[in-house]
Amino acid sequence: MIEQLIIEGLAIGACYGLFGVAVAIIYKTSEVVNFGQGEMGMISTFVAYHILAQYGLPFWLAFLITIVFAILLGMFIEFFFMRPAKDPTVLGLIIITLGAEMLLMGLASWKWGAEQKDFTFPLSVQELHEPIPGFVLNEWSMGVFILTGLIMVMLFLFFRYSNLGIAMRATQQNQNAAKIMGIKVERVFSFTWGMSSLIGAVAAMFFAARSVLDPNFMMEPFMRAFAAAVLGGLTSIPGVVVGGLLLGIIENFFGYLWPVWKPIVAFVVIIIILTIRPSGLFAKHYVKKV
Amino acid sequence: MKGTRSLVFWLMAVGVALALPVQSHAGAPGFDDKEIRIAQWGPQTGPAAPWGSVARGSDLIFKMVNDEGGIHGRKIKYFIRDDQYNPAQTKAVVKELVERRGIFAFVGGVGAACGMAVKDYLAENKVVWVGPSTAINEYVFPVNPYLFGIYPLYEDEASVLTKYVVEKLKVKKIGFFYQNDSYGKSGLTGCKQRLDTYKMSLVEEIPVEPGEKDLSSQMLRFKNSGAEVVIMWVNPTTATIAVKTCATIGYKPQWVSSNTLSDFPLMNTITGGLWEGVITGGFGVPPDSDHPLIVKYREAAKKYAPEERCGTFYLAGVLYAEPMIDALQRVGPNLSLEAFLNALNTTKDFQGIGPKITWTPDVHQGTDSIQIQQCGPNGSYILLQDWVPNELATWKKM
Amino acid sequence: MDMKRDYYEDIEIFSSGTVLFWSIALLIFLFTLPLYFPSYNVYLFNIILVHVILAVGLNILVGYTGQISLGHAGFFAIGAYGTTILMTHLGIPFFVSIILAGLIAAFFGFIIGLPALRLEGPYLAIATLGFGLTIMHIIGRWEVFGGRMGIQAPPLDIGVPQMGLSILLDSDVKMYYLILIITITMVIGARNMMKTRVGRAFVAIRDDDIAAEVMGVNLTAFKTLSFAVSAFYAGVAGGLFGFVLGFFDPFTFNLILSIIFLVMIVVGGLGSVLGAIMGATLITYLQYDLLKNIDEMPYLGDLLVWVSRKWFTVIGLENFNSILLGLIMLGIVIFEPLGMFGIWIRIKKYWKTWPF
Repeated sequence: MIEQLIIEGLAIGACYGLFGVAVAIIYKTSEVVNFGQGEMGMISTFVAYHILAQYGLPFWLAFLITIVFAILLGMFIEFFFMRPAKDPTVLGLIIITLGAEMLLMGLASWKWGAEQKDFTFPLSVQELHEPIPGFVLNEWSMGVFILTGLIMVMLFLFFRYSNLGIAMRATQQNQNAAKIMGIKVERVFSFTWGMSSLIGAVAAMFFAARSVLDPNFMMEPFMRAFAAAVLGGLTSIPGVVVGGLLLGIIENFFGYLWPVWKPIVAFVVIIIILTIRPSGLFAKHYVKKV
Repeated sequence: MKGTRSLVFWLMAVGVALALPVQSHAGAPGFDDKEIRIAQWGPQTGPAAPWGSVARGSDLIFKMVNDEGGIHGRKIKYFIRDDQYNPAQTKAVVKELVERRGIFAFVGGVGAACGMAVKDYLAENKVVWVGPSTAINEYVFPVNPYLFGIYPLYEDEASVLTKYVVEKLKVKKIGFFYQNDSYGKSGLTGCKQRLDTYKMSLVEEIPVEPGEKDLSSQMLRFKNSGAEVVIMWVNPTTATIAVKTCATIGYKPQWVSSNTLSDFPLMNTITGGLWEGVITGGFGVPPDSDHPLIVKYREAAKKYAPEERCGTFYLAGVLYAEPMIDALQRVGPNLSLEAFLNALNTTKDFQGIGPKITWTPDVHQGTDSIQIQQCGPNGSYILLQDWVPNELATWKKM
Repeated sequence: MDMKRDYYEDIEIFSSGTVLFWSIALLIFLFTLPLYFPSYNVYLFNIILVHVILAVGLNILVGYTGQISLGHAGFFAIGAYGTTILMTHLGIPFFVSIILAGLIAAFFGFIIGLPALRLEGPYLAIATLGFGLTIMHIIGRWEVFGGRMGIQAPPLDIGVPQMGLSILLDSDVKMYYLILIITITMVIGARNMMKTRVGRAFVAIRDDDIAAEVMGVNLTAFKTLSFAVSAFYAGVAGGLFGFVLGFFDPFTFNLILSIIFLVMIVVGGLGSVLGAIMGATLITYLQYDLLKNIDEMPYLGDLLVWVSRKWFTVIGLENFNSILLGLIMLGIVIFEPLGMFGIWIRIKKYWKTWPF
């Protein structure tokens, strides 16, 4: 029983972590928490659903088209909503993401209606495997673990070795200095949004396969992913994933012992941790100087 | 440049505000020689929007009545307003409808808190409300002279279902999974009431918040308790996640549930076929049956609302309006509030596509009967047990 | 904008005769408002006024002190439930109850202010969000509060019914006057507070907290004070909101409401009392009244139905409301970082300097 609780907690936690990474990537470069992240993932998932249901394409093709769509969507929002903002304050930018969220939510509900849809996903939650005796894994969680690992390795290599990744880190550290060094900061922002939207879309598809697809399905996961990201420390990407895993385990253990308090236990733990470590578990605490 | 852009934007905003229609029908009695004004609120947007089809379903039967010449020469003018499942907004739209449009009666109406927020207002303004789309004891006890309930109380439904589980399925270990609100808790009460008569108790009862998306720990608890039957009183999304989660942990109890989850084609699709075999209560005749009225409504839906899926909720909207139209027909050409109330109060054993409905001046809860249905292959309906009342119903003894 | 020559000019409520004239005109307009509008609109005005109180309070925290809160729906709920419980269970008169409920909210605000001493930005956002959710959850669990089912507000009696002095406000219009008077008091209070030592300390913390501390501003005291004052406003607003609604459940005070409050003050203009008022009015109107019956509208309705048939679904047409609200938010924040207050200043300047 306990090992199953751990596996389930880790699987859903990895999903939160993956989505939290999408939030963290944008936060790292621009200090903006993107409240539209959930709905960006939601609409990408709906696009995949639409392609599958209307045109009957194979899943991998629909997946690829969706990925391209997600990247374009992220860049679109950055280019048309974030970039034109004049003398933006961080709070102003956050409100812009909220406006984008309402816009996307409205469009999706207008187009697909509110009724729940089934999202056919190749990795089923019902196919059980037992790689190590005693540890029962379903295909879905295996997919989550493999994908999270893969994306983490890719992100690590990307930020470490690719020019674009280094440019992103430079932009994050000091925008003006990066500009002077010849980095097109605006282009970096575009890529950031595209990348974040991509990761968000992949995570959203996993969420949809586990629950149901409707225009509201990403609200709750977004909140938890955001919380997980904060728990791990928003600026450290491995930290965010660890935060997600921790959140999943905490919720499942407490949820098993006291089901009544499951929805809020994670938040209480996070508040306690934040009072001890104000910048999350893994981020370096930034000490302000005058 | 800076100025012009914001000026244009502002002009647009003002333009939108001015484009709002200002037209008033304010006729106090809610009807005249040409029309009877009937309205319903329902969440068309926001998290509860799937319930919105109830309000649109009532539209179907009103259109049918109008095309057959209306009621004694009067057409029905029907208003739907979106309240986003938010009581504050329900009150706003209901006030607008009653005071500006002049509404004779409300029909249906989703949401426990939404209905509670406007219940007294409607009674003060003498607006009749027939068939709230949810069962709340406070609606009908004590009797509110303007409110007529159809929906079987969740206690009664849970009680009948539990009886079926114990007597027909012969199961000893029963778990109960309920939404932490009046809907779920009433179900739990009814189930326990019934179990008390058998000197049995639940092996596990777990509440859930409506928005929760991860139910692994809750399902593991049920698995651990060894419950063979899990009765669930939750919403469709939670039910889907619960059923899927149980499949992942290799636990397959017999699911039993309320009529809220009896939209089998929908549930079967969104659970990926896992819904087959689930037993639910049913408070309307299944949408795929060959009951003459259902056939008629199905045909009408194809004609008037080709976009709609003619499912359980959509037909529920029809069901709530049926007894109201029956009463209006019986009133005859001399319509008045008193005559309409009188007709409603003398409704006896009226049956459309729902259970038999009886209202007397002292009891405004129309029924306590449910059917028991099972989901067959591909979301088809299997009728396990026809209309059965709850003989334990406490309110009938009053 | 206008040059201030001495301190007394700065703390005046009415900076000139013109402002005094227009303020009085506005007051007369507000007090006669129910005469011009049909009765069902008064309900909306009540909600707007309640939101104005809350937005002005939230603005003290976000706009003036530079902290963020995603948990204001929690304080709002404490006010609503607190007032109702105090009146129904303990039989305390209305005015005492609402102030007590406001103080309870303020106490919770103080508690939340403590971690805020070390938290910033998204970390504070999550902490306050967690608070809002926890409050909602606890209320939903507790039978005294009516659980998830909700609770009925008592009749609004502003006298002392136990002593035979009963002044029952049983209509929206009567309630409107009570709420209007409380709103005006609270708004003037906020405006004055911002011109005292406390207000200047808040602004100093917003601009640079370490510099403020060096200047002798007690960070602990003023940050928690800002939270407490803001929560007090939210509590009082919540107390009134309960009576406006008559019946409410915990879901009424969800996270979306907290976000909407934040939207109000940013769209209205941060750090300005007038901005908060304008933002609360606009957003509430958009949410409650705009496009409630799209398909019945002349021209636009037909057009939208046609668009829906062609590319979207007619069933989902109501969601156009959400699209429009999103676009208006985007438009205001993108083109005018100071929000509606900025637009207001621009218009004022334009007319003052006209024809140049």
